[in-house]
Amino acid sequence: MRSRVSILAGIVGVLLLSSSTLAHHGATSLYDVSKITTLKVTITEFVWTNPHVEVGIASVENKSDHWLLELGSPPNIANRGWTSKSLKVGDVVTVTFNPGLRGVRIGKLLKVVLPGGKELLA
Amino acid sequence: MRAQRPLIWTAGLLAAVVAGCTGGSTPPAPAASAGASAPRASRPDISGTWVHPGGPGGASLRPAEGYPLTPWAIEKMKSEKPTSTTNDFRETTDPAVLYADPNGYPRIQMHPMKFKLVQTDDYVYHLWEYNQNWRQIAINKEHSPDDPPTWYGNAVGKWEGDTLVVDSTGYKPSTWLTGQGLPHTEDLHIVERIRRDGDTLVMHLTFEDPGAFTKPWSIENKYQRVEDGAMIETIYTISDELRFRERFLGVPSPIPIRR
Repeated sequence: MRSRVSILAGIVGVLLLSSSTLAHHGATSLYDVSKITTLKVTITEFVWTNPHVEVGIASVENKSDHWLLELGSPPNIANRGWTSKSLKVGDVVTVTFNPGLRGVRIGKLLKVVLPGGKELLA
Repeated sequence: MRAQRPLIWTAGLLAAVVAGCTGGSTPPAPAASAGASAPRASRPDISGTWVHPGGPGGASLRPAEGYPLTPWAIEKMKSEKPTSTTNDFRETTDPAVLYADPNGYPRIQMHPMKFKLVQTDDYVYHLWEYNQNWRQIAINKEHSPDDPPTWYGNAVGKWEGDTLVVDSTGYKPSTWLTGQGLPHTEDLHIVERIRRDGDTLVMHLTFEDPGAFTKPWSIENKYQRVEDGAMIETIYTISDELRFRERFLGVPSPIPIRR
């Protein structure tokens, strides 16, 4: 499979939905919050900007598989340990995200696992 | 070490004096008629940095019994397309997204970000981390009939014991009261009762607007004190929105987006 996609239900889904529906850019209108995609990727860009921090990724398995992911606003993710230097171009990490609706290659980032095993939650 | 004790005592005494002068973490005893002329040490202290403990979706304006909407407000709300419900984000009518308009008050207070209250003799300044927006509450002053409608209203306040009672009018009707499109008219009148209970800030708001609500309604939110008062710049502009739309939604910008 090009990507490992798993559909989760129950508590996790409810929690993700409840935390994302009030996001500025309305996750439920852009992302399929019932789906969670996990990929090993190379970071292609990390832009600390408003309204949401942007993360560009390319799949390690298939380098032509590019996605553009959004994080929360800088103050909100800073409270969870993120800084503008948390990721840099070329880093190989594992990302978990809600993919875009209708097959659009965008996503709402949920978690990053850094090479050393440290996790950063969105 | 023993030799350092006098220094520590001195530092502690100094800290106590400074806290007494500037309004430290322990609120002074409520003053019966504190106001602009009250000595600073006796003025109730609501200063500090605050945040809602519930994170995103924590602070809410929705009363348990629901909003008492007028027919106009019901129709207006039906016609709006919040980002949280529309099937296509590009169709949203949310002015804070579509135009990157200021949130207005009290919608900005629903953000899961910090805000700061700064007290002077004549004003209380309400500073929000989101968009670096702010409002001022004039203490012991009257509303001016010449005040124009503004994003954050025209607010006057007075102390009633340990509670700051804020009366505000003059809100631009284009703002939404919530991210779900709760409307209001130019006649919106908000009365707030703000008090501090230890490390908790209690904000009780009552809304009156005959054009939008069939009767006054109230809501209360509680915020926690944040020791680290640093606030991170997060200024959201129309260029951010154009960039987001082009990159995430595939909508070409009419001007080159910022790279």
